[in-house]
Amino acid sequence: MSDTKVRVVHYLNQFFAGIGGEEQAGHPVEARPGAAGPGRALQAQLAGQGEIVATLIGGDSYVSEQPADAEPALRAALTEWQPDVLVAGPAFNAGRYGLACSLVCRIAHDLGIPAVTGMYPENPGLAGERLHMVAVPTSDRPLDMQAALSAMARLALKLGRGEHLGPAEAEGYLPRGLRVFSQREAPGYQRALDMLVAKLNGQPFQTEVPIQVPERVEPAAPIADLQSAQIALVSLGGLIPKGNPERQLNGNPHRYYRYSVEGQSRLTPQDWEAFHGGYFNGTSSENPNYICPLRHLRHLEAEGVIGGVFPDIFTMPGVATPVDKSQAFGDQLGTELREGGADACFLVAT
Amino acid sequence: MAKEIERHGIPVAMISAIHGLPLTTGANRVIRGARIEHVCGDPNLGPEKDFAYGLRIVQTALRALQTDVSGPTLFDPDDLEEAAAEGEAIHAS
Repeated sequence: MSDTKVRVVHYLNQFFAGIGGEEQAGHPVEARPGAAGPGRALQAQLAGQGEIVATLIGGDSYVSEQPADAEPALRAALTEWQPDVLVAGPAFNAGRYGLACSLVCRIAHDLGIPAVTGMYPENPGLAGERLHMVAVPTSDRPLDMQAALSAMARLALKLGRGEHLGPAEAEGYLPRGLRVFSQREAPGYQRALDMLVAKLNGQPFQTEVPIQVPERVEPAAPIADLQSAQIALVSLGGLIPKGNPERQLNGNPHRYYRYSVEGQSRLTPQDWEAFHGGYFNGTSSENPNYICPLRHLRHLEAEGVIGGVFPDIFTMPGVATPVDKSQAFGDQLGTELREGGADACFLVAT
Repeated sequence: MAKEIERHGIPVAMISAIHGLPLTTGANRVIRGARIEHVCGDPNLGPEKDFAYGLRIVQTALRALQTDVSGPTLFDPDDLEEAAAEGEAIHAS
Protein backbone atom coordinates (compact mmCIF):
# COMPACT_ATOMS: atom_id res chain seq x y z
CA MET A 1 0.00 0.00 0.00
CA SER A 2 2.75 2.44 1.02
CA ASP A 3 4.52 2.17 -2.34
CA THR A 4 1.31 2.91 -4.24
CA LYS A 5 1.14 6.51 -5.32
CA VAL A 6 -1.95 8.55 -4.57
CA ARG A 7 -3.85 9.19 -7.80
CA VAL A 8 -4.59 12.89 -8.12
CA VAL A 9 -6.82 14.69 -10.61
CA HIS A 10 -6.20 18.44 -10.73
CA TYR A 11 -8.79 21.03 -11.80
CA LEU A 12 -7.66 24.30 -13.44
CA ASN A 13 -9.39 27.13 -15.25
CA GLN A 14 -8.51 28.06 -18.82
CA PHE A 15 -6.06 30.71 -17.67
CA PHE A 16 -3.90 28.58 -15.39
CA ALA A 17 -4.07 25.71 -17.87
CA GLY A 18 -2.39 28.01 -20.37
CA ILE A 19 -5.24 28.05 -22.88
CA GLY A 20 -5.92 31.78 -22.70
CA GLY A 21 -7.36 34.71 -20.80
CA GLU A 22 -10.87 36.13 -20.75
CA GLU A 23 -11.28 35.62 -24.50
CA GLN A 24 -11.07 31.87 -23.79
CA ALA A 25 -13.34 31.91 -20.71
CA GLY A 26 -16.01 30.08 -22.70
CA HIS A 27 -13.70 27.06 -23.13
CA PRO A 28 -15.65 23.85 -22.46
CA VAL A 29 -14.61 21.19 -19.98
CA GLU A 30 -11.83 18.89 -21.10
CA ALA A 31 -9.49 16.38 -19.49
CA ARG A 32 -5.82 16.06 -20.39
CA PRO A 33 -3.52 13.33 -19.14
CA GLY A 34 -0.81 14.43 -16.69
CA ALA A 35 -0.08 17.74 -14.99
CA ALA A 36 -0.41 21.22 -16.52
CA GLY A 37 0.45 24.76 -15.45
CA PRO A 38 0.71 25.01 -11.66
CA GLY A 39 0.03 21.26 -11.62
CA ARG A 40 3.71 20.77 -12.38
CA ALA A 41 4.62 22.57 -9.16
CA LEU A 42 1.92 20.59 -7.35
CA GLN A 43 3.43 17.39 -8.75
CA ALA A 44 6.76 18.39 -7.21
CA GLN A 45 5.08 19.12 -3.88
CA LEU A 46 3.55 15.64 -3.89
CA ALA A 47 7.16 14.52 -3.49
CA GLY A 48 6.90 11.17 -5.20
CA GLN A 49 4.00 10.07 -3.00
CA GLY A 50 1.30 11.11 -5.40
CA GLU A 51 0.85 11.50 -9.13
CA ILE A 52 -1.33 13.86 -11.12
CA VAL A 53 -2.91 11.43 -13.57
CA ALA A 54 -5.04 14.03 -15.33
CA THR A 55 -5.87 17.72 -15.44
CA LEU A 56 -9.47 18.83 -15.80
CA ILE A 57 -9.85 22.20 -17.47
CA GLY A 58 -12.91 24.41 -17.61
CA GLY A 59 -13.39 27.95 -18.90
CA ASP A 60 -14.47 30.26 -16.06
CA SER A 61 -17.51 31.62 -17.87
CA TYR A 62 -18.44 28.25 -19.34
CA VAL A 63 -18.62 26.50 -15.97
CA SER A 64 -20.42 29.40 -14.28
CA GLU A 65 -22.95 29.97 -17.01
CA GLN A 66 -23.54 26.47 -18.30
CA PRO A 67 -23.47 24.21 -15.24
CA ALA A 68 -25.98 21.91 -16.95
CA ASP A 69 -23.32 21.12 -19.57
CA ALA A 70 -20.26 21.46 -17.35
CA GLU A 71 -21.41 19.22 -14.51
CA PRO A 72 -21.95 16.01 -16.50
CA ALA A 73 -18.63 16.55 -18.30
CA LEU A 74 -16.77 16.99 -15.00
CA ARG A 75 -18.54 13.99 -13.50
CA ALA A 76 -17.72 11.83 -16.52
CA ALA A 77 -14.04 12.82 -16.39
CA LEU A 78 -13.78 12.05 -12.66
CA THR A 79 -15.51 8.71 -13.20
CA GLU A 80 -13.11 7.89 -16.01
CA TRP A 81 -9.91 8.82 -14.18
CA GLN A 82 -10.90 7.40 -10.78
CA PRO A 83 -8.62 9.55 -8.61
CA ASP A 84 -8.01 8.94 -4.90
CA VAL A 85 -8.32 12.68 -4.39
CA LEU A 86 -9.26 15.77 -6.38
CA VAL A 87 -7.26 18.99 -6.10
CA ALA A 88 -8.96 22.14 -7.42
CA GLY A 89 -7.15 25.42 -7.98
CA PRO A 90 -5.96 27.34 -6.01
CA ALA A 91 -8.33 30.06 -7.13
CA PHE A 92 -7.04 32.91 -4.91
CA ASN A 93 -9.59 35.74 -5.23
CA ALA A 94 -10.94 34.83 -8.68
CA GLY A 95 -14.71 34.59 -8.21
CA ARG A 96 -15.83 32.40 -11.09
CA TYR A 97 -12.78 30.16 -10.67
CA GLY A 98 -13.58 29.78 -6.96
CA LEU A 99 -17.17 28.85 -7.76
CA ALA A 100 -15.95 26.32 -10.32
CA CYS A 101 -13.51 24.80 -7.80
CA SER A 102 -16.33 24.46 -5.28
CA LEU A 103 -18.56 22.86 -7.94
CA VAL A 104 -15.99 20.30 -9.04
CA CYS A 105 -15.26 19.49 -5.37
CA ARG A 106 -18.97 18.89 -4.83
CA ILE A 107 -19.16 16.56 -7.83
CA ALA A 108 -16.12 14.64 -6.56
CA HIS A 109 -17.61 14.45 -3.08
CA ASP A 110 -20.84 13.04 -4.50
CA LEU A 111 -18.76 10.35 -6.25
CA GLY A 112 -17.06 9.51 -2.95
CA ILE A 113 -13.78 11.21 -3.93
CA PRO A 114 -12.31 13.53 -1.27
CA ALA A 115 -11.53 17.04 -2.56
CA VAL A 116 -9.07 19.78 -1.64
CA THR A 117 -9.10 23.32 -2.89
CA GLY A 118 -7.45 26.60 -1.98
CA MET A 119 -8.76 30.14 -2.15
CA TYR A 120 -8.86 33.53 -0.50
CA PRO A 121 -11.30 33.45 2.44
CA GLU A 122 -13.54 36.07 0.81
CA ASN A 123 -13.76 34.19 -2.50
CA PRO A 124 -17.46 33.66 -3.31
CA GLY A 125 -16.62 29.98 -3.91
CA LEU A 126 -16.50 29.66 -0.13
CA ALA A 127 -19.89 31.26 0.44
CA GLY A 128 -22.51 28.96 1.80
CA GLU A 129 -22.18 25.41 2.99
CA ARG A 130 -18.83 23.72 2.23
CA LEU A 131 -18.85 20.30 3.82
CA HIS A 132 -17.96 18.78 0.47
CA MET A 133 -14.41 20.10 0.40
CA VAL A 134 -11.34 20.90 2.42
CA ALA A 135 -10.33 24.46 1.58
CA VAL A 136 -6.92 25.90 2.35
CA PRO A 137 -6.93 29.67 2.91
CA THR A 138 -4.66 31.48 0.44
CA SER A 139 -3.76 35.10 -0.11
CA ASP A 140 -5.56 37.03 -2.83
CA ARG A 141 -2.45 37.01 -5.05
CA PRO A 142 -1.34 34.21 -7.39
CA LEU A 143 2.24 35.14 -6.45
CA ASP A 144 1.69 33.00 -3.37
CA MET A 145 1.09 29.90 -5.49
CA GLN A 146 3.92 27.91 -3.93
CA ALA A 147 2.68 28.28 -0.34
CA ALA A 148 -0.87 27.41 -1.38
CA LEU A 149 0.21 24.31 -3.33
CA SER A 150 2.39 23.08 -0.51
CA ALA A 151 -0.52 23.17 1.97
CA MET A 152 -2.91 21.63 -0.55
CA ALA A 153 -0.48 18.85 -1.48
CA ARG A 154 -0.04 17.83 2.16
CA LEU A 155 -3.79 17.60 2.72
CA ALA A 156 -4.36 15.90 -0.63
CA LEU A 157 -1.93 13.09 0.25
CA LYS A 158 -3.63 12.60 3.61
CA LEU A 159 -7.11 12.51 2.15
CA GLY A 160 -6.02 10.40 -0.82
CA ARG A 161 -4.66 7.75 1.55
CA GLY A 162 -7.89 7.81 3.52
CA GLU A 163 -6.12 9.14 6.61
CA HIS A 164 -8.00 10.92 9.36
CA LEU A 165 -7.93 14.71 9.15
CA GLY A 166 -7.43 16.66 12.36
CA PRO A 167 -9.27 19.83 13.29
CA ALA A 168 -9.16 22.80 10.94
CA GLU A 169 -6.85 24.98 13.03
CA ALA A 170 -4.33 22.15 13.46
CA GLU A 171 -4.33 21.05 9.81
CA GLY A 172 -4.44 24.53 8.31
CA TYR A 173 -7.73 24.46 6.41
CA LEU A 174 -10.80 26.63 6.81
CA PRO A 175 -13.38 25.36 9.31
CA ARG A 176 -16.21 23.50 7.65
CA GLY A 177 -18.70 23.80 10.47
CA LEU A 178 -18.30 20.10 11.24
CA ARG A 179 -18.30 18.83 14.82
CA VAL A 180 -16.14 15.79 15.50
CA PHE A 181 -15.96 13.84 18.77
CA SER A 182 -12.50 13.88 20.34
CA GLN A 183 -10.80 13.78 23.71
CA ARG A 184 -9.72 17.10 25.22
CA GLU A 185 -7.34 17.61 28.09
CA ALA A 186 -9.78 19.37 30.40
CA PRO A 187 -13.48 18.63 30.88
CA GLY A 188 -16.07 20.93 29.34
CA TYR A 189 -17.13 22.77 32.50
CA GLN A 190 -13.52 23.70 33.22
CA ARG A 191 -12.90 24.95 29.68
CA ALA A 192 -16.14 26.95 29.77
CA LEU A 193 -15.15 28.55 33.10
CA ASP A 194 -11.66 29.34 31.78
CA MET A 195 -13.25 31.10 28.83
CA LEU A 196 -15.64 33.01 31.05
CA VAL A 197 -12.80 34.16 33.34
CA ALA A 198 -10.77 35.22 30.30
CA LYS A 199 -13.72 37.12 28.92
CA LEU A 200 -14.42 38.89 32.21
CA ASN A 201 -10.77 39.91 32.42
CA GLY A 202 -10.78 41.18 28.87
CA GLN A 203 -8.35 38.42 27.81
CA PRO A 204 -8.52 36.74 24.41
CA PHE A 205 -10.14 33.31 24.25
CA GLN A 206 -11.18 30.90 21.54
CA THR A 207 -14.78 29.76 21.46
CA GLU A 208 -15.37 26.10 20.69
CA VAL A 209 -18.72 26.82 19.07
CA PRO A 210 -18.19 29.57 16.53
CA ILE A 211 -21.43 30.72 15.00
CA GLN A 212 -21.44 31.92 11.42
CA VAL A 213 -24.74 33.38 10.41
CA PRO A 214 -24.86 34.66 6.84
CA GLU A 215 -26.26 38.10 7.34
CA ARG A 216 -29.76 38.60 6.03
CA VAL A 217 -31.23 41.98 5.34
CA GLU A 218 -34.98 42.38 5.53
CA PRO A 219 -36.15 42.96 1.93
CA ALA A 220 -37.13 46.55 1.23
CA ALA A 221 -40.83 47.03 0.54
CA PRO A 222 -41.78 46.71 -3.13
CA ILE A 223 -42.59 49.70 -5.32
CA ALA A 224 -46.24 50.60 -4.88
CA ASP A 225 -46.68 52.64 -8.04
CA LEU A 226 -44.34 51.85 -10.91
CA GLN A 227 -45.76 54.60 -13.12
CA SER A 228 -44.49 57.28 -10.78
CA ALA A 229 -41.29 55.50 -9.70
CA GLN A 230 -37.79 56.85 -10.31
CA ILE A 231 -35.51 53.91 -11.17
CA ALA A 232 -31.75 54.28 -10.71
CA LEU A 233 -29.12 52.29 -12.61
CA VAL A 234 -26.06 50.93 -10.84
CA SER A 235 -23.55 48.88 -12.83
CA LEU A 236 -20.79 46.69 -11.44
CA GLY A 237 -19.69 45.81 -14.97
CA GLY A 238 -16.89 48.37 -15.10
CA LEU A 239 -18.73 50.97 -17.19
CA ILE A 240 -16.51 54.02 -17.80
CA PRO A 241 -16.69 57.10 -20.01
CA LYS A 242 -14.73 56.41 -23.21
CA GLY A 243 -11.01 56.84 -22.65
CA ASN A 244 -11.28 56.52 -18.87
CA PRO A 245 -10.81 60.21 -17.96
CA GLU A 246 -11.04 59.49 -14.22
CA ARG A 247 -8.41 56.75 -14.47
CA GLN A 248 -10.75 54.23 -12.92
CA LEU A 249 -9.23 50.92 -11.87
CA ASN A 250 -10.43 47.68 -13.46
CA GLY A 251 -10.85 45.86 -10.15
CA ASN A 252 -10.88 46.32 -6.39
CA PRO A 253 -11.97 49.97 -6.79
CA HIS A 254 -11.44 52.66 -4.15
CA ARG A 255 -14.81 54.24 -4.89
CA TYR A 256 -17.71 54.21 -7.30
CA TYR A 257 -18.40 56.96 -9.84
CA ARG A 258 -21.56 58.92 -10.53
CA TYR A 259 -22.29 60.19 -14.06
CA SER A 260 -25.22 62.13 -15.48
CA VAL A 261 -27.15 60.44 -18.28
CA GLU A 262 -29.70 63.20 -18.65
CA GLY A 263 -30.68 63.64 -22.28
CA GLN A 264 -29.08 60.32 -23.29
CA SER A 265 -31.46 57.83 -24.83
CA ARG A 266 -28.92 55.03 -24.68
CA LEU A 267 -25.27 54.40 -23.86
CA THR A 268 -23.26 54.58 -27.07
CA PRO A 269 -19.86 53.00 -27.72
CA GLN A 270 -18.67 56.47 -28.78
CA ASP A 271 -19.13 57.78 -25.23
CA TRP A 272 -18.83 54.72 -23.00
CA GLU A 273 -16.88 51.49 -22.71
CA ALA A 274 -16.31 48.59 -20.32
CA PHE A 275 -13.17 48.35 -18.18
CA HIS A 276 -13.39 45.41 -15.83
CA GLY A 277 -10.63 42.89 -15.02
CA GLY A 278 -13.00 39.96 -14.53
CA TYR A 279 -14.49 39.22 -17.94
CA PHE A 280 -13.94 39.79 -21.66
CA ASN A 281 -14.98 43.44 -22.15
CA GLY A 282 -15.30 43.58 -25.95
CA THR A 283 -19.01 42.81 -26.25
CA SER A 284 -20.08 45.27 -23.56
CA SER A 285 -17.77 47.97 -24.94
CA GLU A 286 -19.54 47.65 -28.29
CA ASN A 287 -22.92 47.95 -26.57
CA PRO A 288 -22.58 49.37 -23.05
CA ASN A 289 -26.35 48.95 -22.51
CA TYR A 290 -25.55 45.28 -21.79
CA ILE A 291 -24.03 46.28 -18.46
CA CYS A 292 -26.25 49.30 -17.84
CA PRO A 293 -29.61 48.96 -19.63
CA LEU A 294 -30.33 52.66 -20.10
CA ARG A 295 -31.73 52.10 -23.58
CA HIS A 296 -34.35 49.64 -22.32
CA LEU A 297 -35.31 51.74 -19.34
CA ARG A 298 -35.67 54.87 -21.51
CA HIS A 299 -37.97 52.88 -23.76
CA LEU A 300 -40.20 52.00 -20.81
CA GLU A 301 -39.99 55.59 -19.55
CA ALA A 302 -41.26 56.84 -22.94
CA GLU A 303 -44.09 54.31 -22.81
CA GLY A 304 -45.10 55.56 -19.37
CA VAL A 305 -44.40 52.20 -17.74
CA ILE A 306 -42.05 53.79 -15.21
CA GLY A 307 -42.08 57.31 -13.79
CA GLY A 308 -38.55 58.05 -14.87
CA VAL A 309 -34.88 57.11 -14.95
CA PHE A 310 -32.80 58.58 -12.12
CA PRO A 311 -30.70 61.36 -13.71
CA ASP A 312 -27.35 59.84 -12.73
CA ILE A 313 -25.93 56.35 -13.10
CA PHE A 314 -23.44 54.78 -10.69
CA THR A 315 -20.58 52.58 -11.85
CA MET A 316 -17.62 50.57 -10.65
CA PRO A 317 -15.98 47.25 -11.54
CA GLY A 318 -17.34 44.71 -9.06
CA VAL A 319 -14.37 42.35 -9.40
CA ALA A 320 -12.15 41.51 -6.41
CA THR A 321 -13.85 43.99 -4.11
CA PRO A 322 -13.61 42.93 -0.46
CA VAL A 323 -16.84 42.54 1.49
CA ASP A 324 -16.18 45.40 3.90
CA LYS A 325 -15.53 47.81 1.02
CA SER A 326 -18.67 46.68 -0.80
CA GLN A 327 -20.68 47.26 2.35
CA ALA A 328 -19.36 50.79 2.68
CA PHE A 329 -20.06 51.50 -1.02
CA GLY A 330 -23.59 50.10 -0.69
CA ASP A 331 -24.30 52.17 2.39
CA GLN A 332 -23.08 55.36 0.70
CA LEU A 333 -25.02 54.54 -2.47
CA GLY A 334 -28.19 53.92 -0.48
CA THR A 335 -27.82 57.37 1.10
CA GLU A 336 -27.22 59.08 -2.26
CA LEU A 337 -30.17 57.30 -3.86
CA ARG A 338 -32.52 58.12 -1.00
CA GLU A 339 -31.44 61.76 -0.89
CA GLY A 340 -31.80 62.01 -4.68
CA GLY A 341 -35.34 60.68 -4.53
CA ALA A 342 -34.84 57.29 -6.21
CA ASP A 343 -37.59 54.75 -5.49
CA ALA A 344 -35.71 51.64 -6.55
CA CYS A 345 -32.54 50.59 -8.31
CA PHE A 346 -31.14 48.03 -10.70
CA LEU A 347 -27.79 46.54 -9.76
CA VAL A 348 -26.23 44.93 -12.81
CA ALA A 349 -23.42 42.50 -12.04
CA THR A 350 -21.35 40.59 -14.58
CA MET B 1 -23.94 46.07 -1.93
CA ALA B 2 -27.55 45.17 -2.70
CA LYS B 3 -28.19 44.43 0.96
CA GLU B 4 -26.68 47.71 2.15
CA ILE B 5 -28.77 49.72 -0.32
CA GLU B 6 -31.90 47.90 0.84
CA ARG B 7 -31.15 48.91 4.42
CA HIS B 8 -31.99 52.42 3.23
CA GLY B 9 -35.43 51.22 2.21
CA ILE B 10 -34.70 51.22 -1.52
CA PRO B 11 -35.59 47.91 -3.21
CA VAL B 12 -32.79 46.53 -5.40
CA ALA B 13 -33.21 44.33 -8.46
CA MET B 14 -29.89 42.56 -8.94
CA ILE B 15 -29.39 41.40 -12.52
CA SER B 16 -26.65 38.78 -12.79
CA ALA B 17 -25.55 36.10 -15.21
CA ILE B 18 -24.33 34.05 -12.23
CA HIS B 19 -27.54 34.23 -10.25
CA GLY B 20 -26.61 31.55 -7.72
CA LEU B 21 -23.99 33.78 -6.18
CA PRO B 22 -26.13 36.80 -5.19
CA LEU B 23 -28.80 34.40 -3.92
CA THR B 24 -26.22 32.75 -1.67
CA THR B 25 -24.87 36.04 -0.39
CA GLY B 26 -28.35 37.28 0.44
CA ALA B 27 -29.51 39.66 -2.30
CA ASN B 28 -33.32 39.62 -2.03
CA ARG B 29 -34.46 40.18 -5.62
CA VAL B 30 -32.22 38.48 -8.19
CA ILE B 31 -32.91 38.45 -11.93
CA ARG B 32 -31.32 35.88 -14.22
CA GLY B 33 -29.25 37.80 -16.76
CA ALA B 34 -28.08 36.42 -20.09
CA ARG B 35 -24.31 35.91 -20.02
CA ILE B 36 -21.38 37.45 -18.17
CA GLU B 37 -20.18 39.21 -21.32
CA HIS B 38 -23.65 40.54 -22.18
CA VAL B 39 -25.83 40.51 -19.10
CA CYS B 40 -28.82 42.44 -20.50
CA GLY B 41 -29.23 40.95 -23.96
CA ASP B 42 -27.57 38.72 -26.51
CA PRO B 43 -25.85 40.08 -29.64
CA ASN B 44 -26.10 36.65 -31.26
CA LEU B 45 -29.87 37.08 -31.61
CA GLY B 46 -29.61 40.02 -34.02
CA PRO B 47 -30.53 43.61 -33.13
CA GLU B 48 -34.30 43.23 -32.77
CA LYS B 49 -34.44 40.06 -30.73
CA ASP B 50 -31.43 41.26 -28.72
CA PHE B 51 -33.32 44.39 -27.69
CA ALA B 52 -36.49 42.40 -26.97
CA TYR B 53 -34.54 40.00 -24.78
CA GLY B 54 -32.91 42.89 -22.87
CA LEU B 55 -36.31 44.48 -22.47
CA ARG B 56 -37.69 41.23 -21.05
CA ILE B 57 -34.85 41.13 -18.52
CA VAL B 58 -35.51 44.75 -17.54
CA GLN B 59 -39.26 44.11 -17.30
CA THR B 60 -38.56 41.10 -15.12
CA ALA B 61 -36.46 43.35 -12.88
CA LEU B 62 -39.35 45.81 -12.65
CA ARG B 63 -41.72 42.99 -11.79
CA ALA B 64 -39.30 41.91 -9.05
CA LEU B 65 -39.27 45.43 -7.66
CA GLN B 66 -43.08 45.32 -7.45
CA THR B 67 -43.10 41.94 -5.72
CA ASP B 68 -43.15 41.40 -1.99
CA VAL B 69 -40.46 38.86 -1.08
CA SER B 70 -39.52 37.35 2.25
CA GLY B 71 -35.91 36.48 1.39
CA PRO B 72 -33.55 35.85 -1.56
CA THR B 73 -35.78 35.14 -4.57
CA LEU B 74 -34.90 34.40 -8.20
CA PHE B 75 -36.90 35.99 -11.02
CA ASP B 76 -36.46 34.40 -14.43
CA PRO B 77 -37.11 36.40 -17.62
CA ASP B 78 -38.40 33.18 -19.19
CA ASP B 79 -41.28 33.24 -16.70
CA LEU B 80 -42.34 36.74 -17.72
CA GLU B 81 -44.71 35.65 -20.46
CA GLU B 82 -46.39 33.16 -18.14
CA ALA B 83 -46.83 35.88 -15.55
CA ALA B 84 -48.31 38.16 -18.17
CA ALA B 85 -50.77 35.44 -19.08
CA GLU B 86 -51.78 35.24 -15.44
CA GLY B 87 -52.59 38.92 -15.53
CA GLU B 88 -49.83 40.28 -13.33
CA ALA B 89 -49.03 43.95 -13.73
CA ILE B 90 -45.95 44.32 -15.89
CA HIS B 91 -47.03 46.98 -18.32
CA ALA B 92 -48.96 49.96 -17.25
CA SER B 93 -52.12 50.03 -19.27
